[in-house]
Amino acid sequence: MANGQVFDGRGGSRRDFLRAAAGAAGALLVGAEALRAAPAPDPWGEELPERVREVLRARFGERTVRPGRVQLDVPENAPDGRSVPVFVETSLPLVSTDYVKAIHVVVDHNPDIYLAGFHFSAALGAASVDTRIKMRRTSYVRAIAETSRGELWGAATKVFVTLNGCG
Amino acid sequence: MERTQGPQVGEARIVVPATAAPGSVIYVKALITHPMHTGLFRDATGAPIAAWFIREVVVGYGGEEVARFEWTSGISRDPFVTFPLRATRTAPLTITWTDNKGASWTQTAQVTVG
Repeated sequence: MANGQVFDGRGGSRRDFLRAAAGAAGALLVGAEALRAAPAPDPWGEELPERVREVLRARFGERTVRPGRVQLDVPENAPDGRSVPVFVETSLPLVSTDYVKAIHVVVDHNPDIYLAGFHFSAALGAASVDTRIKMRRTSYVRAIAETSRGELWGAATKVFVTLNGCG
Repeated sequence: MERTQGPQVGEARIVVPATAAPGSVIYVKALITHPMHTGLFRDATGAPIAAWFIREVVVGYGGEEVARFEWTSGISRDPFVTFPLRATRTAPLTITWTDNKGASWTQTAQVTVG
């Protein structure tokens, strides 16, 4: 039985109807699968503007930022760019020989791309920071954790900003 | 427009738990009153407002530097920050904020272990 035919209880059986309905649902699922398969933009790849790359190169040299091991908690929508809460924590080891030396905060479209660096010692016993930042417009907010061994781990979230908080 | 009432620039507060178990990680909250001007805004008469912001924060615990924050004017007005600290001993926690004009302010809180 073809899709679209009227199920009047005489021409087609209940089984036929169910089979057709399952086929239609399957087609929908395949469509959703195709959408999901489209690659998400990579914040550390093609979504990393050249001027941000320069800022990172000036600070970290040729070391590259690997995504992961850092949790960045920022709102996706920030109506007021004058005060955007930012919370960064890490799941990196914290022992005296291998600890988080710094958490760096970078905002792509701010006048100062490198917004802040929080330098820690092993004496802190944990690595997290909670503060409030200004944002000029919709942009990625990036948190980069630098370990005492020189590894760089990052997380990035796009924050939609309505009110310019930077001037 | 600078404030004429309320907290004045440089007034700072540090909040730590009343007591901490030995070796536990506590969270320190630090707040200072500062306009944090970016230098990009203009006042009501159209004159530019000069950049004026905290650029460095140094955290000492029992006389030893444990953390140092490097800031720009991208930190919001009246900067607020929370960070961890392993409470190993009863000792003063001292935070010094320094702005781009060279002014600095220091505030101390007692970390009590026991």
